[in-house]
Amino acid sequence: MARLIVMGGGVAGHTTATFAKKWLGNDHEVVVVTPNANWNWIPSNIWVGVGQMKKEDVVFPLAPVYKKAGIDYRQAKAVSIHPEGKEGSDKQFITIEYTGQGKEGQTEELEYDYLVNATGPKLNFDATPGLGDGNGQIGANTVSVCTADHAVHANSELRRIFEKAKTEKQKILVGTGHGMCTCQGAAFEYIFNIEHEARKAGVRDNLEFKWISNEAFLGDFGMGGLHMKVGGYVVSSKLFAESLYAERGVDWILGAHVNKVEEGKVHYEQLDGTMGEEEFDFAMLIPPFAGVGLKAYAKDGSDITDTIFAANGFMKVDADYTPKPYEEWKASDWPRKYQNPTYSNMFAAGIAFAPPHLISKPAKSPNGTPINPTPPRTGMPSGIIGKAVAHSVCDMIKNGENAHIHEISMAEMGAACVASAGKGVFDGTAAAMTVYPVVPDFEKYPGTGRDTDYTFGEIGLAGHWIKHILHYLFIYKAKLKPGWTLIPE
Amino acid sequence: MIQPLKRYPDESINVNSGPVRSFKDSYKDMVQDLIDTATEHNLEALSAVQIGYPYALFILKEDDGSYKAYANARIINQKEPFNSSEKCSYFFDIPITVKRFASLSIIYDDENGDMQTLKIEDKDKAAKFQRMVDFVFNTSLLDRLKPEQRDQAVKALAGKGHMPDLESCFCPTSSKKDYFISVIDKLLFFMFISLWLPLFNISKETLSGWYTYDKIATVSIIILLIGFFFYAQYEAKKYKQCTSCQIGNQIGIMIKRLVALIPFAIASYFIVNPN
Repeated sequence: MARLIVMGGGVAGHTTATFAKKWLGNDHEVVVVTPNANWNWIPSNIWVGVGQMKKEDVVFPLAPVYKKAGIDYRQAKAVSIHPEGKEGSDKQFITIEYTGQGKEGQTEELEYDYLVNATGPKLNFDATPGLGDGNGQIGANTVSVCTADHAVHANSELRRIFEKAKTEKQKILVGTGHGMCTCQGAAFEYIFNIEHEARKAGVRDNLEFKWISNEAFLGDFGMGGLHMKVGGYVVSSKLFAESLYAERGVDWILGAHVNKVEEGKVHYEQLDGTMGEEEFDFAMLIPPFAGVGLKAYAKDGSDITDTIFAANGFMKVDADYTPKPYEEWKASDWPRKYQNPTYSNMFAAGIAFAPPHLISKPAKSPNGTPINPTPPRTGMPSGIIGKAVAHSVCDMIKNGENAHIHEISMAEMGAACVASAGKGVFDGTAAAMTVYPVVPDFEKYPGTGRDTDYTFGEIGLAGHWIKHILHYLFIYKAKLKPGWTLIPE
Repeated sequence: MIQPLKRYPDESINVNSGPVRSFKDSYKDMVQDLIDTATEHNLEALSAVQIGYPYALFILKEDDGSYKAYANARIINQKEPFNSSEKCSYFFDIPITVKRFASLSIIYDDENGDMQTLKIEDKDKAAKFQRMVDFVFNTSLLDRLKPEQRDQAVKALAGKGHMPDLESCFCPTSSKKDYFISVIDKLLFFMFISLWLPLFNISKETLSGWYTYDKIATVSIIILLIGFFFYAQYEAKKYKQCTSCQIGNQIGIMIKRLVALIPFAIASYFIVNPN
């Protein structure tokens, strides 16, 4: 009996573990190690953050689902990987520290035959002074919608602002809290959902909205922009976004690296070297992502973290990490198997794998500060990669180490994204976008690097309905209810 | 080499231009083609997509008459909006008025691929720069117009009508004809108040004064309604796309005031009139 350990229970980890268990059956063991008691459908957190959903609507307990599936669930955080075993034992293992199940604080060694790193990101609030509390958690100056609990807190703060706005002017600032952030889409959704709710609450006139982002142009969305179909015309996402922001009365600051956050004020540097300050009464700034800080040790106890992980803490896989200038970046630099090059029984899925380089053109301010979106690897790509990794591991378990490894490159993969701009059965709106491929392939598609027929977006009420349907659909799938395998990633 | 210019309605310019990644020979050839073509047609600015190269590149004529290339340009800050009347070879140099910003802070890559920053404070140059950045992002002058204006412009380009004018095409957010209605409503309000005065112990002289007010107000409201009607007709001609300027709306507004005025005036004659 082989044992697969999946570190992480988010979109990628949950997908890997559940499919692997389904395909492996009871002949082999699947263990999930995640510090969280609940699974969270993160895309709907923005609706929790504006009070349109409750926390219970976007999370569910993992334990009963894993029990039903026959997956060994450990509510614990992975601390270290020992891919060569230890003195006196060749058996690979990881060390974990429990965060629940009545064993809080206890550590344990878990041996494995195959390991999938799907830990997701560390929300690196402390990368920006004042954004974090100095202990890795969000500070008191801003709110976040990255987790369901964050979103609940964000909504309570937002209600306080709405109450104040009944009698006095208030300023809302939403965007990215660092020059190297990803997930601009979540911030985009949040600012327009707040604006939508403010109108419904009758306080819109007393609210000033400002968008601050590391994107070099509105509508970049961290992927270099796309076409949008609006009112029968095909326009660029830049024009679409500029029109939307103007129509909804949202001003913007672009190419910005937030370098300090204080109570009621952010300091930022822009790509043109401009230094600025922006005051706020309510701010939601997305933090940059980093690896979760896993350590790795050789058999003799020496630290081999640098061998397994890149400098940003994400796991090295079969990508080409050779430093090279932007003009030499190729689609083939991106990984296809998500297999660690040193230890072939280790994989990384979702955000946890180290990308070879950025997707957007790298940019620095005249002061040398890098300001550009980092590659998005959330949502659909995470699920697809997680499933491919599950396939590979299952084949290796069943057919031996030389079994066929399933391949799926982000340079050959499309992705869909539905960005809400306001929730409501009849007055909701959302921008539905598809991108193909996620990573531009400039050799195959000269110019933008993308197939423009499949890189497309449209905004409207139907988009909102789709987003709402997806909310129920993916939670249904994650709960492993009948027919869950038929629902695509 | 001089390249053929794309002209409306050639839709091959409707592509998102890709980033310029290499600044080697092919880039230099592309810049030279842009310069040759712009020189041939005596153009102030020209984007790569206008001659069939889908790259984020354009040239602008500088003060000394030479052309300068801007690759991967982005507008980081923009201030001081104004209405800019612009011509573009793609639209056969027909002037179109669009909203632009007079002050820009930009980034771009120079001929070596090194990122540079630049502040533009000159209105004319800023407008040209924004027009070129629009081309890079699959946005023509027409896309900067509102839907009604755009439809009108498309007809004009087909030789059926005139180009829209930002100042004249749209229903304004506030109209001078509204002043007529505002004054009428205030006069009606005080007429309504006057109807309640006989209920209080008010002298005959005071009531007489209020009755005089009611008579003057009645005549004034009728005159103002007539004035409103004719001024509204004038605005309806000025703002061609204005739905609230339609004659049905104007008549409705007038009827509503008349419905209030007539009973107020009759009631005033019987209630407020001290004689």
